[in-house]
Amino acid sequence: MKEKLNYSYYPGCSLHASAGEYDLSTRELFKKLKIGLTEVPDWFCCGATPAHNVDELLSLSLCAKNLELADKVEGDLAVACAACFSRLKTTQNVLSESEVKRKQVEKAIDAPVILDSHVKHLLEILARDLGPERLAQSVNKPLSGLKVACYYGCLLTRPTDVPNLDCVEAPTIMEDVLKAVGAETVAWTHRMECCGANFTLSRPGVVIQLTNAILDSAKAAGADCVMVACPLCHGNLDIRQKEIEGVYSVNYNLPVFYLTQLVGLAVGLGPDKLGLAAMMVNPLPLLKEKGLL
Amino acid sequence: MQSLSRHFTLMSTVQFLIGGILLSIKGCFVKKKKMIISQETMDVDFVRKVEALSGTSVRRCFQCGKCSAGCPMATFMEHPPNRVVRLLQLGQWQRILAGRSIWYCASCETCTTRCPNKVDLTSIMDALRKLSWDAEGASKESYVQLANKLFLQNIRTYGRQYEMRLAAVFNVKSGQFLKDLMLGPKLISKGKLKMFQSKNKNLSEIEKIFTRIEEMRRKGEAL
Repeated sequence: MKEKLNYSYYPGCSLHASAGEYDLSTRELFKKLKIGLTEVPDWFCCGATPAHNVDELLSLSLCAKNLELADKVEGDLAVACAACFSRLKTTQNVLSESEVKRKQVEKAIDAPVILDSHVKHLLEILARDLGPERLAQSVNKPLSGLKVACYYGCLLTRPTDVPNLDCVEAPTIMEDVLKAVGAETVAWTHRMECCGANFTLSRPGVVIQLTNAILDSAKAAGADCVMVACPLCHGNLDIRQKEIEGVYSVNYNLPVFYLTQLVGLAVGLGPDKLGLAAMMVNPLPLLKEKGLL
Repeated sequence: MQSLSRHFTLMSTVQFLIGGILLSIKGCFVKKKKMIISQETMDVDFVRKVEALSGTSVRRCFQCGKCSAGCPMATFMEHPPNRVVRLLQLGQWQRILAGRSIWYCASCETCTTRCPNKVDLTSIMDALRKLSWDAEGASKESYVQLANKLFLQNIRTYGRQYEMRLAAVFNVKSGQFLKDLMLGPKLISKGKLKMFQSKNKNLSEIEKIFTRIEEMRRKGEAL
């Protein structure tokens, strides 16, 4: 038996607002799996896409500040959001390569930059640090018969030039986790296509067009539901699903689960601890039909 | 609700069609400007700035078009990613900044990931957006820029993103009072939009970062 796993936790802004169920299910799942999780006190927004879109220095500084705050808490940094994950990793990569940029960022945050800390996505913790074998041992209600379309989205496996959680073009890390908890996964085309992300605010029409293609492909592959590991992907696929169905006159009715919700279900957590009631597309009929509730 | 959203879509489709017809009528009368490549029209200095900011050389691109093939947003752009690089190679940056391409880039990094010759297009797009602040004749793709601006203002004021406020202020400032109005009550009932959010205790630190960057920029010490 390996020693107890302990992490510092960076939830990111969405998990304290529109993705509350992701935060809840993550905390409950980690408690159940006996993995330590301590939230970084007073973390800031990482700047996400808008910051690096207009001001690289600001983006790097915000991430460097968060890395500094996280360093005060014991353990590797666990990140829930794919965008935060990508930004924090990119910052470490860019600043370790460019001394000029590092000096500027150090001046901006008035502190040394932490480059050697490990930033890990929740997926990585479940699939690598804990491992499929130990995860399978904790399962008491296998998700047998549930066909899941694993949606990676764009930022989870990027940037490419740093050691990352999986292959950039054909990752299998989500499938590995789901197989360990007994679910079936489908092969489908749009697993890594962008959902339009933060255009949901400024250009919802774009998001609706892109997400429709994703949901369409998942449905055509015979999936019962979609699994995501990013609050923005979830927002676009779940919250906008009714609207998409109206615009394109189709009926998808595909519940969109967070990774921690599906794994939590398999280790025996109830719907209230997974925040299933907060999902816009009601997953309860599907779960009842499959005998998982 | 569904019929209402379909109604809005129908309206925007009609608007789109009318807009298209008007544009094509205009196209019959206005002569298209031909691109002339000469020493006078090539602004190499600007391109060097893009290369310095992005840390990538546009000369590495051999126009295979893989970036545009994989780009999820290429259908919305007048210059798809590979053409953006081609225009940079030819020093025709004004054509890029006058259009909407850079503001329709989702920063998904597919282009950089797939480039066979290591052209970091994601960083080129970032550099172009940054240089468009001061560039003459640059397009103000207003909705995206407004959203970015409000997003950063939120970070400065609250330390974190305040989704409810972000969406509300965006709708007011962009004049789209009805946008996603039907979603609001549903989101609140699901607990997805918080009315109040706790402020960071160390808020003064974020203000200091913003101020220091502004000062560095004034002195010309920043990126």
